[in-house]
Amino acid sequence: MRFIALALAVFSVPLVAGCGLRPGYPPNPMLRPTAVTDFATLYNQNCAACHGQNGQNGPSIDLANPEYQALVDDATLRKWISGGMPGTEMPAFAQSAGGMLTSAQVDALIAGMRRNWQRPNAFDGVSPPPYAQAAVGDPVRGQSTYQARCAQCHEPTRDSANQQITSPRYLALVGDQALRTIIIAGRPDIGQPDWRHDSPGGQAAAPLSVVDVDNIVAYLASLRNLGQPAPASTASSHTTPAGR
Amino acid sequence: MRVNGTMSRVYKWFESRLQLEAPVKEAALHPVPRNTASWWYVFGSAAFTLLFLQIVTGILLALVYVPSAGEAWSSLNVLNHQIPLGWFLRGLHGWGSNFMVAIVLIHMAQVFLFGAYKFPRELTWTLGVFLLLMTLGMAFTGQVLRFDQDAYWGLGIGASIMSRVPFVGGGLVHLLLGGPVIAGATLSRFFALHVFIIPGALLLFALLHVWMVLKLGINEWPMPGRLVRRATYIDEYNKLAHEDGIPFVPGAFWKDLAFSGAVVAAVGVCTFVFGPFGPGGQPDPSIIQTVPKPDFFFLWIYTVLSYLPPQMETPFLLIAPLVAIATLLAVPFWAGEGEKSWHRRPVAVLAVSTIAICWGVLTHLGATTPWSPHMNAWSSDPIPVHYLQHATPLVRQGAVVFQVKQCRNCHSIGGNGGERGPALDDVATRMTIDQLRYKVVTGGGNMPAYGKNLSPAEIEALVSFLETLHPANEPPAYDASRRAVDESQSQPRPQSARPPAPPVARQTANRSANR
Repeated sequence: MRFIALALAVFSVPLVAGCGLRPGYPPNPMLRPTAVTDFATLYNQNCAACHGQNGQNGPSIDLANPEYQALVDDATLRKWISGGMPGTEMPAFAQSAGGMLTSAQVDALIAGMRRNWQRPNAFDGVSPPPYAQAAVGDPVRGQSTYQARCAQCHEPTRDSANQQITSPRYLALVGDQALRTIIIAGRPDIGQPDWRHDSPGGQAAAPLSVVDVDNIVAYLASLRNLGQPAPASTASSHTTPAGR
Repeated sequence: MRVNGTMSRVYKWFESRLQLEAPVKEAALHPVPRNTASWWYVFGSAAFTLLFLQIVTGILLALVYVPSAGEAWSSLNVLNHQIPLGWFLRGLHGWGSNFMVAIVLIHMAQVFLFGAYKFPRELTWTLGVFLLLMTLGMAFTGQVLRFDQDAYWGLGIGASIMSRVPFVGGGLVHLLLGGPVIAGATLSRFFALHVFIIPGALLLFALLHVWMVLKLGINEWPMPGRLVRRATYIDEYNKLAHEDGIPFVPGAFWKDLAFSGAVVAAVGVCTFVFGPFGPGGQPDPSIIQTVPKPDFFFLWIYTVLSYLPPQMETPFLLIAPLVAIATLLAVPFWAGEGEKSWHRRPVAVLAVSTIAICWGVLTHLGATTPWSPHMNAWSSDPIPVHYLQHATPLVRQGAVVFQVKQCRNCHSIGGNGGERGPALDDVATRMTIDQLRYKVVTGGGNMPAYGKNLSPAEIEALVSFLETLHPANEPPAYDASRRAVDESQSQPRPQSARPPAPPVARQTANRSANR
């Protein structure tokens, strides 16, 4: 009798102790892929590969840069995510353009980026040049501005001439709007300064003016067709939907 | 005392009508050879116990499960999340099924190795073969009733196999699916198979199987040199059982009881720790983000079909099962007499070992071989940060091309990505830049040619990125003749000049120049 009581006591201890513990309890039912609207899940499944985990340190622009978030409005983000960005490798993600995301999911991505990465007064009260180019730039003036403000860091050497931003190979893959965005907002994750600090050594200097930015983009665009012919097919990447 | 007296009268009232006491006593107390009371002889009773566990848990599940294509998946989630301990019940049934398949297979191997299928137990073995087939049938139909993506596509593959039968294939598919496509009727049909038809036959066969075990006696422990002869075996067995025997209960029975208890406990522990199986994603063919795989007992078929050349598939699928079943059924009639002990039956030992090893290897390959690309690696697996730390702008664009053109779906870097092609973390040490360019453009081996899918700029960017993929202490491969040409085109240098810097040093120099 005492043995049975002891055995019961010994067996009941783990049972009682494990009352709240259910390691085998199944996870929540799997949602349809189109019903997922959690930002972290969507971002990690669709964006992290190019834009980096947590929106930085990827090969493409760092979405976690508060200046980028302040520069680009919702409609533009929606346009690029949904339909891809012409002249770049950014593919179309919306179902309407052949991708896999519903418009609710695109909105969830935008809202999540704003929630996580937007910062009030990202430009410290300074007005940046507008996101979209309004006037036609002057490539000749752009070249001199480039030499004065950019070339020290972006100077091509003999071996790396084909790999720098002035190389037609690079420029064939990066559209004017992408160049403009990175000049204005910079890439803090890799030490690329914004338009206020575009000067030798990345020191604080007089910010680039709107015209300067227009001209530098025009200069770089003029280099695009030098050297080997720039393929027209880079634009095709924008018609290639994501997931194909 | 009074209570005992009443109980006794009630018992006698029933017993005088049922008259079960004598046969039950006979069955329980019949003598069995002393050395058959072994831990090797417990698998059959464990399989029988699991069958009852499956029946009980299955009946409870059937109280909630809705066998309709529209609601089956939801009703499984109701069981998992809304019914107290529903998840545990599903887990018991799922793990019970896995254990049952495993124990039935072990039981069969043990019976074969111990020669227990020989005279006079040929029919017991034959029924056992059908019991194995029915157990596998229960496993397959059960997997279908767990109506998720694996079930849907597994059913598609089952139907596709059926359709290969000459002449009647189409009719068989129609019969299996209840129509030309997987729909509501399909699930009703599988529900009937899983809940009425196969279990009914299984129970009947299992009872007959046990009946014969009781009537013919449990196989004696095989001794090398003690041969089975039809003329003398039964007398020899009875002599052994009576002269050196013990009553089945409790002499041998307690081990059966203990092992069955342990197996049921193991099913419970597995359920508690690992939980029920699925359901996975919704069984909707329009959801393409899925990589369906069969449950473990059918993984080996999945592997075999993956490795077979296409022209061998139909012959294998249609002929191999028939040959296997015919062989199993023929075993007791072909070798019904003679040596029972595995010590004197090397072919039997070799056959079981070969089958077990093949099964294990094929299952392992089925579970781990990366036959499919990782279809979302291109958009979900980031480039390891240190690969981009000092990257030039073109190399960064190359990394983007690498992702967007979905190279990552077949090639991993930093341990993430597909495994169809080789990992590329040190590809630059294996291939020169020209070889990389050539490979990307023309493909080769398993790799498709990408020349028409990439612009020249994309190819250059991609190759520039790939050329940076090498360990820090190992320079990338380079073409000696190209190096010589490069050197001859550069400034003439005195003979005592240093040899050409390896590319890694040049890159470092470039990077420092770029900063």
